[in-house]
Amino acid sequence: MPPRIRGSSCQPQLLLNCIEPVPATSLSSSAALGPLRRPTTSSAPRCSQPFSTTPAPQVTALRRKFKEWCEAKQQLREPQRGQTNYVSQFIPVSESGMTRPDMPFPANKHFRSERVLSEKAREMIWRDVMVNGMPLKAVSAQYSVDMRRVAAVVRMKEIEKKWERENKPLALPYASAVTGMLPLAHLRQGEDPFEPINDIHVHSYTMQQLFVPTSESREFTRADAAKAFGDRILPPDQKMRIPELVQMEKNIHAGMSPQEARDEFVKAASESEKAYAAKQQARLQAAEDRKVRVDSGRFEFRFEKINAEDVGPTGRARRGVGWRYGVPFMDRKRGELKIPTSVE
Amino acid sequence: MVVKIRLARFGRTNSPFYNIVVAHARTARNSRPLEVIGTYDPIPKKDPYDTTGRLHKDIKLDTTRAKYWIGVGAHPTETVWRLLSMVGILPPKHRPGAPSTTAPKGQANEA
Repeated sequence: MPPRIRGSSCQPQLLLNCIEPVPATSLSSSAALGPLRRPTTSSAPRCSQPFSTTPAPQVTALRRKFKEWCEAKQQLREPQRGQTNYVSQFIPVSESGMTRPDMPFPANKHFRSERVLSEKAREMIWRDVMVNGMPLKAVSAQYSVDMRRVAAVVRMKEIEKKWERENKPLALPYASAVTGMLPLAHLRQGEDPFEPINDIHVHSYTMQQLFVPTSESREFTRADAAKAFGDRILPPDQKMRIPELVQMEKNIHAGMSPQEARDEFVKAASESEKAYAAKQQARLQAAEDRKVRVDSGRFEFRFEKINAEDVGPTGRARRGVGWRYGVPFMDRKRGELKIPTSVE
Repeated sequence: MVVKIRLARFGRTNSPFYNIVVAHARTARNSRPLEVIGTYDPIPKKDPYDTTGRLHKDIKLDTTRAKYWIGVGAHPTETVWRLLSMVGILPPKHRPGAPSTTAPKGQANEA
């Protein structure tokens, strides 16, 4: 049975008490509404929340003190541009005084907000790569910015410049507001390195303790160690993003002047990038060679040459072409990833 | 029994996708065929980052097996004939621009 409205709460007097009193100036003739504007009587409870059953927020001592503190702090009312303005800046939490400026939460000293590249730094990276033609690896090593980030900065800058050429509006006020509130890295000389650039992913296979018998006379290198951990484990020299830096340090150690070693490094980096580009180009060319393009007027039909025997003896091999027989297709199953992998 | 080269429709509602199969003529459309020699995606697609708006259709085909099956007397359906004629395995049946053979005589004389 649904809940009933009690008769006593439907009294006209109670309902009228819940309506906010109209200011007298807005009424032209008070005589017509005279009987309705009766003074509130003490017998009826005053209704402060006419349309909501949520209780009004209680003004506690803590809340009052917080409000007073907020009003007393100048920084909270007028945040300064060019710095983070985190609360932790004016709350002493330790005996040594204020916390570091990159700590947003004063009680959580492990949470640090990372620096972002400033507009000038990004422009500098883009200029080095696209105008001066330096290899990505050299730019990454020069500014201590991860190679993937360098590539991303260049891509984003290219889009930005394209939009400028097309007179598309840029959200510059938003960008400046956000960068004004974040810790920035300007990539100047003498500044702390922005991030580690040559980190190596630690494969879980290499986390185990291993005893490999080997003869004393044999030179046991890192490549041998990798082979001992597994057939597919790469030695660290092949896993790092910029292995040319190792050679540069070796050259300096062998007595080469730093400037000369750096030139060698840039040369090697450039060559490795050229080799990578050539490999990509060859891959694309091979894919193109497998194709025959026939233009029918409306559409271009692209015939790709395949091998029908890739399906294997059971017809279920992964490399096989076409919809498979006898196996469910899980594309609509719950929990399957349905994120598109290409944008058109 | 006649061996045909035909299409087997897979995919979903409103998003067809065909296997180009070699199968006996009297077997069901999506039953396991003698061989899958390719696929045909009939939905026209754009190239990524292409601004010209040109559309293309992707077909995968094992031309060697297709030639073999034609050589041993498999009958391609009309659609498969059209596809195979594009890569020169079969002569085209309907040529764009060629005079229509089905047109009535009177119209042909007027033209």
